Amino acid sequence: MTLLLLVLVPLAFGALCLVLPTSPLRLAAMVTGALAHLTVTAWSWLETDAPPTSGLVGLDPVGHLFLTLISVLFAATSVYFIGYHRKRLVSQRVFLACILALLAALSALCMSQHLGLLWVALETASLAATPLIYFRLGARALEATWKFLLMNSVGVALALLGIFCVAIAATRDSDTVELTVATLALHAANLDPVWLRVGFLLALIGFGTKMGLAPLHSWKPDAYGEAPPPIAALFAGGVTLGAFAGILRMFQVCSAAGLGAFAGSWLIVFGLLSIATAAVFVVGNNDYRRLLAYTSVEHMGVLVIGVGLGAAGSYASMLHAMHNMLNKGATFFLAGFIWRLFQTNEIDDVRGLLTRSPLAGVLLLAALCATCGLPPFGMFFSELGIVLAAAQHGRWWALGLFVLTLAVVFVGVMTAMLPMVFGDPPEKASPPAESPPERWRRHTMLGAAAALLALGFGLGAYQPAGVRDALVRAADALSNPVPQHVALAAKAEVRP
Amino acid sequence: MSPQTAIDAALVLVTLLGLGMLAVSRLATLVRFFALQSLLLAFLPLAEESMHGEVPGMHGFLIAGGTLALKVILIPYILSRLIRTGEVHREIEPFIGFTASVFIGALLVIGSFAVATRLPLPTEPASRLIVPVALSTLSLGLLTLVSRLKAITQVLGFLVLENGVFILGLLLLKQTPLLLELGILLDLFVGVFIMAIVVYHIRREFDHMDTHLLDALKES
Amino acid sequence: MSVLRALAAVPEAVVVLALPPLLLSIIAKTKAWFAGRVGPPWLQPYYDLYKLLRKGVVYSRTTTWVFRAGPIVNLAALLTAATLIPILTPGALLGFAGDVILVAYLLALGRMFAVLAALDTGSSFEGMGASREATFGTMSEPALFLSFIVMAIATRSLQLSEMLGPQLAGPWSTIGPAMLLVVGALLIVLLTETCRVPVDDPATHLELTMIHEVMVLDHSGPDFAFILYGAALKFLLLGSILVHAALPHTGWPAWVDAPMRLVELAALAGIVGVVESSMARLRLNRVPLMLAGATVLASLAAVLTLTRSAA
Repeated sequence: MTLLLLVLVPLAFGALCLVLPTSPLRLAAMVTGALAHLTVTAWSWLETDAPPTSGLVGLDPVGHLFLTLISVLFAATSVYFIGYHRKRLVSQRVFLACILALLAALSALCMSQHLGLLWVALETASLAATPLIYFRLGARALEATWKFLLMNSVGVALALLGIFCVAIAATRDSDTVELTVATLALHAANLDPVWLRVGFLLALIGFGTKMGLAPLHSWKPDAYGEAPPPIAALFAGGVTLGAFAGILRMFQVCSAAGLGAFAGSWLIVFGLLSIATAAVFVVGNNDYRRLLAYTSVEHMGVLVIGVGLGAAGSYASMLHAMHNMLNKGATFFLAGFIWRLFQTNEIDDVRGLLTRSPLAGVLLLAALCATCGLPPFGMFFSELGIVLAAAQHGRWWALGLFVLTLAVVFVGVMTAMLPMVFGDPPEKASPPAESPPERWRRHTMLGAAAALLALGFGLGAYQPAGVRDALVRAADALSNPVPQHVALAAKAEVRP
Repeated sequence: MSPQTAIDAALVLVTLLGLGMLAVSRLATLVRFFALQSLLLAFLPLAEESMHGEVPGMHGFLIAGGTLALKVILIPYILSRLIRTGEVHREIEPFIGFTASVFIGALLVIGSFAVATRLPLPTEPASRLIVPVALSTLSLGLLTLVSRLKAITQVLGFLVLENGVFILGLLLLKQTPLLLELGILLDLFVGVFIMAIVVYHIRREFDHMDTHLLDALKES
Repeated sequence: MSVLRALAAVPEAVVVLALPPLLLSIIAKTKAWFAGRVGPPWLQPYYDLYKLLRKGVVYSRTTTWVFRAGPIVNLAALLTAATLIPILTPGALLGFAGDVILVAYLLALGRMFAVLAALDTGSSFEGMGASREATFGTMSEPALFLSFIVMAIATRSLQLSEMLGPQLAGPWSTIGPAMLLVVGALLIVLLTETCRVPVDDPATHLELTMIHEVMVLDHSGPDFAFILYGAALKFLLLGSILVHAALPHTGWPAWVDAPMRLVELAALAGIVGVVESSMARLRLNRVPLMLAGATVLASLAAVLTLTRSAA
């Protein structure tokens, strides 16, 4: 029932957005929808936590964690959007409906235990996301949309191919194939290893495209640079998590089949490549939204490296997923604020944020520290965890590259964006096309960003037992996808 | 002609059509090639089921019908409408010339056959050609996608790639639930629909459908 | 024994030598029928040859012996190839393992001398034709070789009369699609090598668009007769390869077999005539694409054959 609500609530409010007559009503519907979704998600934690045994849908620890993260991000974004949105939005109905449809698709994705269903949900999510990028209209937005659409479609098709390969691997055993993660993992010993490997690689490339792993990340700076910043926040913190979930499902099957080392090595390769690519493009970038997009590529790399490093790294990776959501939300919210204030994407034209809006300046400074993984923000701990895990496994090369590239990104981000905070505001600012946002709008926008940042700061400094437990259970599920009692039951079945 | 030969022949034709799409410059012809390829694919599930001497079941008919309705009729219709209403009817100067891309395509096909021999199937398939032809179609679609400039041709490349995935899915005909396949078809359709809308916007924005105009976004 | 066999081959040899111009005549008649004309008399090619043979020869002062040798070597190469290719009867006059390579190179040798003779005139028109002929020849050769390879793998033989013999019936039933592709490739090779539409238009009168015809502008008298006859013979040879590959006769008595081949060759000429009447010549820059297509067809066939024989 809860599961159904998680999909139906956003869909219902999305439909409401389509029919409501006035803009404030529609905005209210969207915010209510997102908050209702957050409530249902919170409710789902209170329910008896019997992990899913079979069936197409269910909330396993990983899915539940991701669902919560996505829900929080959507709630924050919807509040932020009240402050961000402008009256002259073209076809606001479709836009808001698409946001809620995206939320529904991502929820369905998090709870789907069946690989095919997961694929359908992910594809639906990317289709719902496409109109969001094209929202600003014009040639540049069109270009970003086209690249996003084409690359993601190809990526998703490759992911489907990967899922088919896994299914073929499973035909060795029996005539009927059930593509649920638990079933596959339970009978993992019978999977054909060659096809499983091929399937994992294809799925990694496919979902990796969607997640924005290098070398298939090239749509990302374009889309994040052209989409409205709150949408970029949803992408960087939410949609990417969905694609990451796809990779994790495949990884779970592989590690159950004893191919964990194989899969892990590839994850590390793609992860390091992503961080290195981000490092190259962050340095000297003069567009703050594109620069933030590259930091997203970097953080995606960190996520997959963590998983690739086995059990110790998995925890760090889950921690990173959480902080990535909080951090990407906050930074893109601030980017949207800056864009409203300065009407430019160029870093060179944005100076003296601290004087023009002291609160925004302080928040951006904090957000930058969080992005670069300075303590006590959570990303410090997740990245440290990955370094420790790499050391523990003796992967010194990976460790060295990881630290080196992270340092380059750190220097790149700081040298590029610190001048935005300090310095003098441009003296003779050409009269901006739009008037600066009103006071209440500014406060809503900054409030949403501040809330996420504060959460990130708080969860970095002090981790409540509940949060830690959820992360640990998700990390455990990565290497042992079959819930304990199911495995026991299966053993009992075999014994007689 | 036994179902076995029919399947083989259809698969070879599918590959040839994929190669043919690299040689053709008229967009309308490209769409026709794609429709023909999909038509062949639509009958494969039926042929595969009747190979075992059974009457094709509900499952096969629904997939065949869905493919027929979407990939043979609806999508080609949308695309040819786009072409008819637009000013662009030909792919004039592709990134990779026609002859060169046909040769590269042939190499890809040969490569696919070579790779397929290294992927022994766990069970005996309906036809040995399924895996190599799936890989060939996939790579030919990818080649079409990257070597052409017109937005419509790129969409068609994506569709051919999707057809390759479909062929591999034939191996799983009996094993996968119907719902999944219909979901995939539906997603594909919506995807192409959205692509068509974007192509329409590209045309309005730039007066034609060349994607090389889409190069404003890059690192300076 | 061998004398007897040689004697038995005499009637076939006579028919084979007499046949080529008639095939050209069939093509001409088909085209005329499509255009609603009566067309030239059936024996017109023979009259032409007779007329040319009686004429004297004119040689330009700039030409060397290469120009004189061209038509003769070309015809000689083709006649030698004719002894290795099964035409009416299943077995060729001569044959040994690997003769398929000799046949391919004999065809290439003939073309090379035609090209050299054209270059020897020093005329820019002929040079242009020679360049085109050489280009297209180079591009059609891989298709021919790949087709041979497919048949060699399918019949496990390298001797042309076995590769094109009744043994082909087996491959047709097991790798039918591949054989179909080979026939397609061979048809394109045939049209290219014999300079028919859609590659070249034998009836064209504009030097700029010609390929083969422009190369032989300077030849006259018996030399030109040799060239015309050589072109017809080439059509017969490649046509025989095509017909034998497409329709293997298994266990047919000789008195049905040979006449059937004649009928099939005539039908092929008819088909070429239909192609010529219904298609326009391709733009020159599209020709390589078509030849690439033939190569691709043949290579796909080879891949299919390999997959099947590995199984």
